[in-house]
Amino acid sequence: MRTPIVLSLSVLTQVVGNLLLSKGMKEAAAAGVAGREFVSTAMHAAVSPTVWLGIIVLATFFLLNSALVSWIDLSFVLPATSVAYVLNVAVGHYLLHEPVGPLRWAGSVIICLGVVLVSRTKSWTVTDSDEEATGFEEAKT
Amino acid sequence: MTTAFMIAIVVVTTSAADVLIARGVRQIGEVGTVNLIELFHMAKRVFRNANFLYGLLLMTVGFFAFLAVLSWADLSLVVPATSISYAISTAGAKLILKEKVSRLRWAGTLLVCLGVALVSLP
Repeated sequence: MRTPIVLSLSVLTQVVGNLLLSKGMKEAAAAGVAGREFVSTAMHAAVSPTVWLGIIVLATFFLLNSALVSWIDLSFVLPATSVAYVLNVAVGHYLLHEPVGPLRWAGSVIICLGVVLVSRTKSWTVTDSDEEATGFEEAKT
Repeated sequence: MTTAFMIAIVVVTTSAADVLIARGVRQIGEVGTVNLIELFHMAKRVFRNANFLYGLLLMTVGFFAFLAVLSWADLSLVVPATSISYAISTAGAKLILKEKVSRLRWAGTLLVCLGVALVSLP
């Protein structure tokens, strides 16, 4: 049960963290002073609550991911968490109203197919444990 | 330095970091608790584990190599090219971590590689 929960949290924190960081950095760049963009962007970013929140959420993602590989295969976690790419496309399209071309939709469908295949394999293969293959229903929708 | 060389550095460091971090946390043991005090003690041990720390270091090197290559190459080239690290990490998981990667899992992983490459194109 904890595997699907922690996997979902891991994907969610990655997507939200990237979104916050991207938003914060763009705000910092927009607040920049002409002529010394680099320094002023870095200074705005360093005091931006959005950037800091993004860093905290991404650090949480890193800890969740490190915890995950302590009990399930790395070769299972990596493809499973790639759902984040699909969510990024969806967030970009539905929330940020970015144009998404047919190639990106095709890529999203192929990632989902790959995740479905991987989710049908046993999640822990290192020892001879008789743990059942994890359902991981979330990725299939 | 050429773009291809830098992309290779990103791929190799990212994959090696994945494998080292997994090896590090497995030496400490399964994170099977939600007790905050136990988690804190576990985290203290993880952050003193050599494999984990080397993994963290390589991940940092990979991240800065990624930023550097982005300063002259297009994101739409770099991200699809680095999607190969899914396959390299999986090979590392099989060879070093002794995970059993079935044909089904390989097929899924390669589809993910292809999908990530397509999603990252302009």
